[in-house]
Amino acid sequence: MLNFVLLIFIYIGIYAIASLGLNLIVGYTGLLSLCQAGFLAIGAYTTAVLMTACHMGFWESMIISGFLASLFGILIGIPTLRLKGDYLAIATLGFGEIVKNVILNWDSVTKGPMGINGIPGPSIFGTTLSSMDKPEWIVIIWVGVVVTYYFIRRIVRSRIGRALEAIREDEIAASSMGINTAKYKIGAFTTGAFLAGIAGSFFAAFNQSVAPLTFDFMMSIMILCMAVLGGLGNSFATIIGTIIIVLASELPRLLGISHIIPPQLNQILFGFILVLIMIYRPQGIIGRIKLNYAKIVKEEIFDLEK
Amino acid sequence: MKKLLAVLFSLMLLSLFACGKESDVIKSGETIKIGFLGPMTGDAGNYGKLMSQSVKIAVEEFNAAGGAEGFNAELIVEDTEGKVEKGNPAIEKLAGVDKVFGIVGAVFSSVSLAVAPKAEAAKIVMISPSSTHKDLPDKGKFIFRDVMSDALQAIVFGKYLAKIDNVKTVAILYVKNDYSQGLAMDFKAQYEKEGGKVVAVETALQGDKDFKTQLTKIKGTNPEALYIPNYVAEIAQILEQAKQLGLKTKIYSADGFSNPQIFELAGDLSNGVIYTQAAEQPASQIKKDFEAKYQAKWGEKPDAFSLNAYDGAKIILNAIKTTSSKGMSGVLKVDRDKVRDFVAKTKDYDGASGKITFTENGDLVVNIGIYTAENKKFKQLKMFKLDGEKLVEIK
Amino acid sequence: MNLFNIPSNELLQHLINGLTLGAIYSLIALGYTMVYGILKFINFAHGEILMAGTYAGYYFYFFLYDPSKGATYTIGIFIAALLIAMTASALLGVIIEKFAYKPLRKAPRLAPLLSAIGVSIILANLAALFFGTKSKKFEYPFDNSSMQIGGSSITPNQLMILAVGLIMMAGLKLFVDRSRLGKAMRATSQNQPVAALMGINVNLIISLTFAIGSALAAVAGVLMALEYKVYPTMGTMAGLKAFIAAVVGGIGNVNGAMLGGIILGLLETFGVVILGIPQGLKDTIAFTVLILILLLRPSGILMKNIREKV
Repeated sequence: MLNFVLLIFIYIGIYAIASLGLNLIVGYTGLLSLCQAGFLAIGAYTTAVLMTACHMGFWESMIISGFLASLFGILIGIPTLRLKGDYLAIATLGFGEIVKNVILNWDSVTKGPMGINGIPGPSIFGTTLSSMDKPEWIVIIWVGVVVTYYFIRRIVRSRIGRALEAIREDEIAASSMGINTAKYKIGAFTTGAFLAGIAGSFFAAFNQSVAPLTFDFMMSIMILCMAVLGGLGNSFATIIGTIIIVLASELPRLLGISHIIPPQLNQILFGFILVLIMIYRPQGIIGRIKLNYAKIVKEEIFDLEK
Repeated sequence: MKKLLAVLFSLMLLSLFACGKESDVIKSGETIKIGFLGPMTGDAGNYGKLMSQSVKIAVEEFNAAGGAEGFNAELIVEDTEGKVEKGNPAIEKLAGVDKVFGIVGAVFSSVSLAVAPKAEAAKIVMISPSSTHKDLPDKGKFIFRDVMSDALQAIVFGKYLAKIDNVKTVAILYVKNDYSQGLAMDFKAQYEKEGGKVVAVETALQGDKDFKTQLTKIKGTNPEALYIPNYVAEIAQILEQAKQLGLKTKIYSADGFSNPQIFELAGDLSNGVIYTQAAEQPASQIKKDFEAKYQAKWGEKPDAFSLNAYDGAKIILNAIKTTSSKGMSGVLKVDRDKVRDFVAKTKDYDGASGKITFTENGDLVVNIGIYTAENKKFKQLKMFKLDGEKLVEIK
Repeated sequence: MNLFNIPSNELLQHLINGLTLGAIYSLIALGYTMVYGILKFINFAHGEILMAGTYAGYYFYFFLYDPSKGATYTIGIFIAALLIAMTASALLGVIIEKFAYKPLRKAPRLAPLLSAIGVSIILANLAALFFGTKSKKFEYPFDNSSMQIGGSSITPNQLMILAVGLIMMAGLKLFVDRSRLGKAMRATSQNQPVAALMGINVNLIISLTFAIGSALAAVAGVLMALEYKVYPTMGTMAGLKAFIAAVVGGIGNVNGAMLGGIILGLLETFGVVILGIPQGLKDTIAFTVLILILLLRPSGILMKNIREKV
């Protein structure tokens, strides 16, 4: 049982990194993106290919995965300059489907529908982790989550964060204040994609295998649910949302009733949780925390004076 | 909010403490658990459902026959949704929480390949009823399968089409899933090696129901035969649409065709389709009995994979029964290594799917039957075995 | 003659295939676009509403189907089944709106979207639980042997899909443009509070929109079922694609939904054929073109790109 709980926390950690990234795009900048699974797929497959075909180590592969995903983040960021709201959402949705479709058909590199197996684990202090070494994995991934959390906290509490929120609240007003909206919008996409790429990299190395159908539209939707459920524009709430979504989808297994109830009930239960939370807490369970700018500015000045 | 979190965490803690029992020793009143791992929901949910029903019957028969030293078996079905990342929690739960002694599954090769190392590490005998990828048996000592590999099925069929049916040109239409693509690629390689010509290779996506574009293109290449190694729902669509488009070629398929559902979906269009499947022993009473039982219990017919699932479950349960012994104070001791060794030694086991013998690495030793469908019934035409490079007919 | 790599005898065949596919997408897209026009939100459960209605029609038809009673009888029960499917979907659409979306009208934009996703998961799995995951055959109410036109085949069902599609779209267009209720609908979609002030019962109009959109989905569902069978996930992918089509056409615009659907159907058919690559890549081609169209026409093909002003 302990192993199983640990496994769930590893999944929560991986998804948390991806959903924190998405929260930067959707929550802080206000751009609806439906292709986080696409970026995850790019990250996961980059790691898988580099580690199996090119025999690279995990850590280098992870960095490359992150950067490759962010490169595609720039690519999909460009339409954001022209498209608004749901039109943008559809463009990103289309992009996610394209990534999945290309992976599925690019047999020579991605092995098509079979997926890539036998991905080695990361080496750390001279030992190679397998997916059985759960405590080590938890430490690695949750260090990743904490780093991501503080990284995003730094961003949103800086000028950049204020610019992003200004774009979310009113793009025209923001640009008339002299904010280069194009730069910030693409920046948000790139950063979000980078984080998804890192998450994908962890995903591949932990599962030791990747398959294309994993990264379907539903996965993007689940990650979006994680960000919205806790409360958009609030990193802590995103992590809570991630915990709830992953726990809810594994709840029958956790309660040990997964073999008693029909498997569909599991999914139905999940659907009800989603609907009920939205009806009773439409702003998310925690909601958005209004930053106290006065206090932050004071702290910054205090830091400077020191 | 805090309340919700508190409830969730206390649930988790509770479940942590709820399982401090010693493994491999089953106390009286408890059951011997075995698992089924497969897609129960989603697009592929029906395959998992059919196979899990077979395993259920095997478990019930085991219990009705007195179980192992009076201990009953219990089936734990876990849903993988056909996805690797859902397969991992499922196997962890079966291994860590339920501490199963055997698993029938997984269904898709991609999932089986991903969960195999975990079953191996937990010393759980895993017999896949439907993962046809050639690499699977090599994944470990505890990993078996009682379905024939893509490679074998495709090699035999490639030779059969080129040499025996004398088909000169073939078009292939397959769906981009691991099963269909594995068969299509292996078949293509073998058929071309035998001198046949593949004039068109068309693909479709999992979940597609419209194949008219591909069939129109295939019709343009005018092949002598069409090879469609897919699952039953797609095959039915292809047969119907090929007829609508006026594509008149011989049609060849693989063991995915063996699902009796084809007769409901495609009706008379199924006539004359030739396909491969593990050869069945003449007049297997076991198969007939099992099919009757399955029909009576579930109100539908089992497909070939379900027969494999049934046999796999029987082999595992039989191994547990034979190797386990009563210990002190009425407990049942099960030795995982002994169970594995017993399964590995399976030779000429009379199963519903035919005689089962495992090779050294856990693959199925099998004769390949060439079947056809005739008036809504499956009929075996010929039986072959592969002797080195040569195809030998068994009379 | 060889236009874009396509032998001329295949060209017409691809066109027929693409148009029928497109007609189905269009019918589904209409529901999305109507709901979006009024509530500005994506009804993600639309594909599942389609599926549920189709099952209702299927079971009615299945229990009464009896080829020995003659062609008139069969066509009669088929039409009845179609009406039952439409009613079932319409009712379901209205009920879902009342319970899962109405409480969220003033909520942040993404809340109803998530609620809709929840509803769609619930419906798809309820169907799998009660009806089974197996594909079920919806028997043709008529002889569906294909006819030959200039070396290409067309089936009576394909003709029916095209005809029914056209009739439904024309009917909807007339209703929205000409009738009083249609006018109220347009008013509600333009400005809800003002429409309410004008004495329009906004709640009623919203329910009506859901009912009509869902009923159209059921028609698409039954037509699809004849062609592709009935199964619990039948509406999911088709729904997603129809939705994309609606957006590309210009969401909220009835003509746009039709156009988008037809374009997508043709793209899926012709895209890979023209490039001479395997059909497995059709989504890549179709979605790439759709994104490019969006970049050229950021508010969809048929919508005016209104510059936002302060």
